[in-house]
Amino acid sequence: MNVPVLNLRGITKSFGSVSALESFNLAAYEGEVHALVGDNGAGKSTAIKIITGLHQADEGVVEVLGSPLPHRRSPASLSEHGISVVYQDLALVECLDIATNLSLGGLPRRFGMLDRRRMHKDAQTVLGDLKVRVTDVSTAVGLLSGGQRQIIAIARAVRLNKPLLLLDEPTAALGVQETAHVGEIVDQLKADGKTIVCISHDLEFVFQHADRISVLRLGRTVASRRTEDTTRAEIVGLITGAIRPDEGAVA
Amino acid sequence: MPQLRKVFARQEVSLLFVVIAIGAATALKSSAFLTTSNIQQVFIASVSIFVMGCGTALLVIGGGLDFSVGATFTLGGLLTAQLMVHSVPWPLAILVGLIACVFVGVANFAIITYLHVPPIIATLGSFYVLTGITTVMTNGLDVLPLPQGFQTLAQDKFLGIPNTVVFAIVVGVLTWFVLERMPFGINVRALGGNRDAALGNGLAVAWLDVALYGTAALTGGAAGVMYAAQVGSGQVNAGGSSSTLTVITAVLIGGVSLLGGLGSIQGVAMGAVLLSLINNALVLTQIPPTLNTIIIGSILICAVALDHLRRERLYRKR
Repeated sequence: MNVPVLNLRGITKSFGSVSALESFNLAAYEGEVHALVGDNGAGKSTAIKIITGLHQADEGVVEVLGSPLPHRRSPASLSEHGISVVYQDLALVECLDIATNLSLGGLPRRFGMLDRRRMHKDAQTVLGDLKVRVTDVSTAVGLLSGGQRQIIAIARAVRLNKPLLLLDEPTAALGVQETAHVGEIVDQLKADGKTIVCISHDLEFVFQHADRISVLRLGRTVASRRTEDTTRAEIVGLITGAIRPDEGAVA
Repeated sequence: MPQLRKVFARQEVSLLFVVIAIGAATALKSSAFLTTSNIQQVFIASVSIFVMGCGTALLVIGGGLDFSVGATFTLGGLLTAQLMVHSVPWPLAILVGLIACVFVGVANFAIITYLHVPPIIATLGSFYVLTGITTVMTNGLDVLPLPQGFQTLAQDKFLGIPNTVVFAIVVGVLTWFVLERMPFGINVRALGGNRDAALGNGLAVAWLDVALYGTAALTGGAAGVMYAAQVGSGQVNAGGSSSTLTVITAVLIGGVSLLGGLGSIQGVAMGAVLLSLINNALVLTQIPPTLNTIIIGSILICAVALDHLRRERLYRKR
């Protein structure tokens, strides 16, 4: 098999005496949608924070395309490593408009000044590619609904055009139609050859769009299945512990 | 951003109406109000507040706060004056005075960022320390005489407009340009609007912070230097706590949100003129000046309540 785009091996992390992750493993390959599921407190958030560099792992390595990431790195340096992230709290600025939010961190300049026209054009292009109908990219993000914000947050990550996309609970608090739209975007990104790692509670969404599902329980990867080889019942059993973990999955 | 612009416009327009209403009422009561010299006086009196307000507004929009600005104001004027008295040429004296003020801003930043002291406490602390330093520096005495060349800087007129007012307009236009037209200004709004988002999007948060605290201190010091030139001496009691509070009041009345992200320089200009106008109107209409603080306090509360309403209308809950 080729080199995984994202590879986490033997990640261990504890906060004081509380162990959040114990030898957590995850390998996501090119053009794959890899879902990470687990109950509250299973360590999903810790896992994503270790990938983004917000936390440092006590042990283990994070590799992107075969090369290990530096142990200490800032969330700001993520895109240099080929990763873009959609945070669960979305990290949008409410008082700024859609176009500005999409360009934040890399505002287009012209003679040192903000190139508003190009910023708006870029925004329209990105949203158009994602088939998002927005009447006006100069609408303040604070005026948008939760679903619209989610789409904008994803659009921003897509705009960075990195090989690896990290989605943290992309469908939390979304309506049916909005969830479907996020799903379409995920499918399209996958078709474009992107690797997507998606943390989610939403098993329906996961079974519809993921190629592989990894189950996290009490800080350990208890199983990793191809979506077509498993059932919802099995995944739920693995999440709750009703089904015993795979041999060897527990280190 | 049509929606936002509409709201911003309303905030400034409502302030403009307040200014016109107070002006009209005063003009009815006193024939001295609508004279060129009196109107000029209103603007001259608002200049210091506005210049300090420009840097302070940027900082507050960026999510910070500086209570030391009144003391930085004193430091700027006093240090420049003292250097001149010790026969340092005035351009050099001004430069050194302003650099010292920027240094105060950087110190504020360092205390907040590296010692993790909340901005309000860190800058309140530096306010007291600075006040002490300026008093010790001059033995509590005003510093004079100042060279004529320095005084004309503020006392001359340019095309019939007092130099201080011209200076304030230049500072105001520059600040407006930086805030509304430069990527830096957008990043400042992002920082104040959602600090985590700014971090997550890879903005150089520490640089923005140090630039903001430095700028707030710089405009504070610049206003102090200008004031010294205007009155012809470096005064120990030029700034102080009342000065700090007046600036923050003007900035908040002008529609800058303490929660960060929102605000405009036009609003700050209106806030500064309004405060100066109220003082002027009370004197001319012979209303006891003791009422001044009551009125200003009430306006401040109304303005911030309005800001809250504005935010509620702007941002629906997710």
